[in-house]
Amino acid sequence: MYNDKESQKIVDIIQNYARKHSLFVLAYGTGCGAIEIPPTMTSRYDAERFGIRGAATPRQADVLLITGYLATKSLKRVIKVYEQMQDPKYVIGFGSCTINGGMYWDSYNTINVLDKYLPVDVYINGCMPRPEAVIAGFVKLQKQIQAGKADGWDKYKKNLDYYKENQKKVITNWVMPDFNW
Amino acid sequence: MSENKLHNEQKLLDLLEKKFILKESKIRREKRVEVKVEPKEIIPVLLYAKDNSGYTAFTHMSCVDWIEDGEFEVVYILWHPEEKINFFVKTRVPRDNGTLPNIDFIWRQANTYEREIREMFGIQFEGLIGREEFILEDWEHMPPMRRDFDTAKFVEKTYFYRPGREDAKDVREYVQERTDEELPDFAKKYSRD
Ligand code: SF4
Repeated sequence: MYNDKESQKIVDIIQNYARKHSLFVLAYGTGCGAIEIPPTMTSRYDAERFGIRGAATPRQADVLLITGYLATKSLKRVIKVYEQMQDPKYVIGFGSCTINGGMYWDSYNTINVLDKYLPVDVYINGCMPRPEAVIAGFVKLQKQIQAGKADGWDKYKKNLDYYKENQKKVITNWVMPDFNW
Repeated sequence: MSENKLHNEQKLLDLLEKKFILKESKIRREKRVEVKVEPKEIIPVLLYAKDNSGYTAFTHMSCVDWIEDGEFEVVYILWHPEEKINFFVKTRVPRDNGTLPNIDFIWRQANTYEREIREMFGIQFEGLIGREEFILEDWEHMPPMRRDFDTAKFVEKTYFYRPGREDAKDVREYVQERTDEELPDFAKKYSRD
């Protein structure tokens, strides 16, 4: 049955529908933006009604939130975490620091453009974005997933050389095992 | 301010002046006393302030890069819990191969500050225990908080730039434009272009 194109389509729709309503977010914050996550998750904004909730370990998570500026030191950890996550996985860049460096654009140890190092599915701008904006970003991600367009993880595999080259440009002492899946 | 009000501040200065050779000493304002000493006087002054004058709390330790004088100024900030006075002890070391005595046997927490200053400015502390690498990881350039480290150039070389923020300016230029303030020459010399 799976060889049949039409039925594959239906399977995809059901799969994407299930995926989009159970986004497990890795509880990992890098910059100041992480402070907006508790209000988003708790009763006032209640992100769980969208199926968004926390996950304790990278292997159980679907979404990696990069909540703000990324020091080269934490970039190393973020890459490690991202590569441990199971497909399909999504990255949300959170706050202007991930987009163009924000107010840390001329800092000697923070990266400026996140999508050169990791494939980003959705950017949420603002310094820092309010919970409404965060939820809007998640809804956008859900729409992308439903449409089958949130394929950052696939791009990462296909363009691994490009990403690795950029990553190794800032991480001079590369002591991690290389990506395998 | 009446003389009476500064009684506690003056008392400390009088005691210190009797005991040590101070390069400079003054009462900045109420609750704020400042002295400048030679590096070799640091430990005696700090010990005296702690054991005899009640400045038992070590609040902070920081470093200023006086590139125009070729010196670093290290500032030790102590606090008197009862009289609520801040006591600043300042000392200067040369920018190249400056060394200072280690004071972490007086206050343990000074160790953290000293390691940070060593990493960020490159001042050595005699007999300081702890790995050379502290906050930065795999850093192989000049200590980044030195003023002759050109951050903008480093960022340009190392990181990517997303177009659209070309209007980002040096803060000093911006302030100058807004307030018509003349920048001193030394500030111009180390500004971005
Ligand atoms: S975008 Fe603003 S709030 Fe977010 S990490 Fe950067 S400085 Fe902090």
